Amino acid sequence: MNSIIGIWDLKLRTPIGSLAVVYTFTDTADGLRGTAEGRGETVPLVDIDQQTTADGQHVTWRQSITRPITLNLDFDVTVAGDTLTGHSRAGRLPRSSVTGNRRNA
Amino acid sequence: MHVQIVLFDGFDPLDVIAPFEVLAAGSDAVQGELIVELVSAQGPRPVRSGTRGLVLTATSRLDPTKPGYVLVPGASGPTVGDPDEGVETIPVLLARFGETEAVTLVREALRNPEVTVATVCGGSLALAMAGLITARHAVTHVQGMEVLAATGVHAVPARVVDDGDLVSAGGVTSGLDLGLHILEREYGPRIAHAVETYFEYERRGTVWRNTGRQPVAV
Repeated sequence: MNSIIGIWDLKLRTPIGSLAVVYTFTDTADGLRGTAEGRGETVPLVDIDQQTTADGQHVTWRQSITRPITLNLDFDVTVAGDTLTGHSRAGRLPRSSVTGNRRNA
Repeated sequence: MHVQIVLFDGFDPLDVIAPFEVLAAGSDAVQGELIVELVSAQGPRPVRSGTRGLVLTATSRLDPTKPGYVLVPGASGPTVGDPDEGVETIPVLLARFGETEAVTLVREALRNPEVTVATVCGGSLALAMAGLITARHAVTHVQGMEVLAATGVHAVPARVVDDGDLVSAGGVTSGLDLGLHILEREYGPRIAHAVETYFEYERRGTVWRNTGRQPVAV
């Protein structure tokens, strides 16, 4: 089961405030792929990793945004049905919580 | 040689004035060969700082074709508070700099082999957040070092970091050291020393450069 597959609305925090970002996860022949779209740019997710735990599907990835600012972010979330919770972290800054909801097709 | 100090809304006054005075004194010591001026990306205008609304006047538009230095100061404002609640924290002010014409002009300055870009305090963070100095070595105010690293810059905790055509200085007062470093770099130690003597101020720390032996952790 790959419950992260789909489109998700996430709110994440940066040093200059919160951003609304749309994530798309797809299952490809090469494995799980994802993109993040926000503020007029779409960036690929890199080093996506996943494992199934007792709490649900646990997914980690990295991404580099350039809008509204250049920032490298690491994510660590757990999927439970149509919601997703976890945290993101910019470098060595304190991690901040992330919540997301599955966008219904 | 020109040194253009770039004013923007919310700038930190001491980040501007410290190198301005040092470079002006250095200019006197080389009989006016160095021209130091306050500029803005928008042209001549009064520019409001982030400290008690103190205003300095930009006398011309930042010109990235002028040989010499383009010096970007940091911002002054709250370091705590939630930007989501409208608090204009220093990172917010610095990110706003990244949405002005200044970005295009500083990008041109970085591409111009006859121009060195210099920063004081949050100036390097403004350029980093605008994506202009990714993978370069730089320093910023101690409170901004982690954000600087998160933008993909190699954050080096030295008072002045000389990365070739990008020279950055740490927090606020390090602008004095930056000014003196620029004088020594361009005109030699006797000019820098003469200004140090006149100002009753001595630089501290080693100017970090990405050269020489790499230290082994002990």
